[in-house]
Amino acid sequence: MNKKRLVVVGFLFVFLATLLLGFGLQAKEKDVYKVGVDANFPPWTWVEKGNYKGFDVDVVKAIAEVEGIDIEIIDMPWSTIVSALGKGRIDVLVSGLSITCERDKMIDYSKPYWSVNQAILVAEDSDLNAITAMSMGHSVGAQSGTTGYMWVEDHLIANDVDVKLKAYEDYILAVEDMTTGRLDAVLADTTTAKNFVKKGRDVKIIGSVSTGEQYAYAVTEGDPYDLLPKINEGMEKIFESGRWMEIFHEYLAEYGYAPPAKIPLTRELTCE
Amino acid sequence: MEIWNVLSGEAPYLLKGLLITIELLVGLLVLGLLGGLFLAIVEVYGGRFFSKLAAFIQRGLRAIPALVLLFLAYYALSLPPLFTAIIALGLRSSAYQSQIFRGSIQAIKSGQMLAARSMGMSRLQGIWYVVLPQAIRLAIGPWSNEYASETKDTSLASVIGVVEIMRRSRYIISYTYGNALLIYGMVALVYLVITRGGNAVLYWLESKLRVPGFEERG
Repeated sequence: MNKKRLVVVGFLFVFLATLLLGFGLQAKEKDVYKVGVDANFPPWTWVEKGNYKGFDVDVVKAIAEVEGIDIEIIDMPWSTIVSALGKGRIDVLVSGLSITCERDKMIDYSKPYWSVNQAILVAEDSDLNAITAMSMGHSVGAQSGTTGYMWVEDHLIANDVDVKLKAYEDYILAVEDMTTGRLDAVLADTTTAKNFVKKGRDVKIIGSVSTGEQYAYAVTEGDPYDLLPKINEGMEKIFESGRWMEIFHEYLAEYGYAPPAKIPLTRELTCE
Repeated sequence: MEIWNVLSGEAPYLLKGLLITIELLVGLLVLGLLGGLFLAIVEVYGGRFFSKLAAFIQRGLRAIPALVLLFLAYYALSLPPLFTAIIALGLRSSAYQSQIFRGSIQAIKSGQMLAARSMGMSRLQGIWYVVLPQAIRLAIGPWSNEYASETKDTSLASVIGVVEIMRRSRYIISYTYGNALLIYGMVALVYLVITRGGNAVLYWLESKLRVPGFEERG
């Protein structure tokens, strides 16, 4: 083989290698843990003027402080965030995440810290009630991959209820579609739903579905960096010190919630 | 919340997002240019085996949706999201650009290469000194199309956590609980300016660097 050939082969090889390289390039020890948030989920996590804000953001910072660990907050879209955690591209997920058995197979949860149900939102001038909104061929929207979306799939569509389910990238877009008349109702976490009413969008809550969900923080399956004990212990510590209540009053009290008697909560859901 | 106040407060962060968009665009176009030229030359002059191999790579990359390539690269490479996006979109662009350059290389009459060889140039010299200087100039027109389409595809990178202008504007839609039409409208204007501005420069270059003897844009 002459020289030119070798050069060509070399280049092609590099080209292919760039395509395929990278499997198994994972670091083992960490100085800074990556905390993933979906920054489109107020009041839990959002970005305002370049700063991360929200209840979960402040809580995770407080936990990191009492547990003496360094964290870096990273924004990841909802559609990617759970699998990014499953694959270890982020170490902790903190974004108003409900515990479900489906997700439990891919990730490990901390103890829960918040309970929610699903609220049914309709446009302010809508005549629908909680029952008609979710039947009679009406269209219901939810953020894809959320517990609200899964509830309509598992409990209505699976039982042949005549309802059209539409998936949205996030709740803002679903509500936007509803206010322009393209959608009849939106199913969202109660906290999220109250937020829309509170912020003066032309929507009202007509009922709720008792799903008894709980929010928790999550780490990569198998907890490779032993973070769960620290997160659970940290939650207890910041609740005892009163920091948790401060954060609660800053972000959540305005929605009329009674603060829980004790944090962390006991997990309700058991999975095989 | 007065949306215009919000927007003026967010302007510096939107600009930060715009900067990331431009970094991503420049990175992927440069990678695509080098990779595309290389693939094109190999496909035209590489001989039976290498020409087939280059065609295989190029066709494969063009057959996979950009979004899928982004996810593949994100889970396969342990690199920061911006680099990952540059590699994924850049490799894909090199496949498209290779076809632009292949066309323009083949538009140069083969007699020119024969003439170069008969003057004692090697094949590589013939490619470098005779074919490419003309072929690259011929490619500017079609390349402007690739520039425009890649500019718009940078918006896909937000799915793997690249905080570019799309993602930054989504933040505002989220915490103001609406204004989607206004904010996406503004983002559309920004893309329009980048695309039209870049293309204006490319069209100017195209006529400035026109190869004598070829038809000019009307």
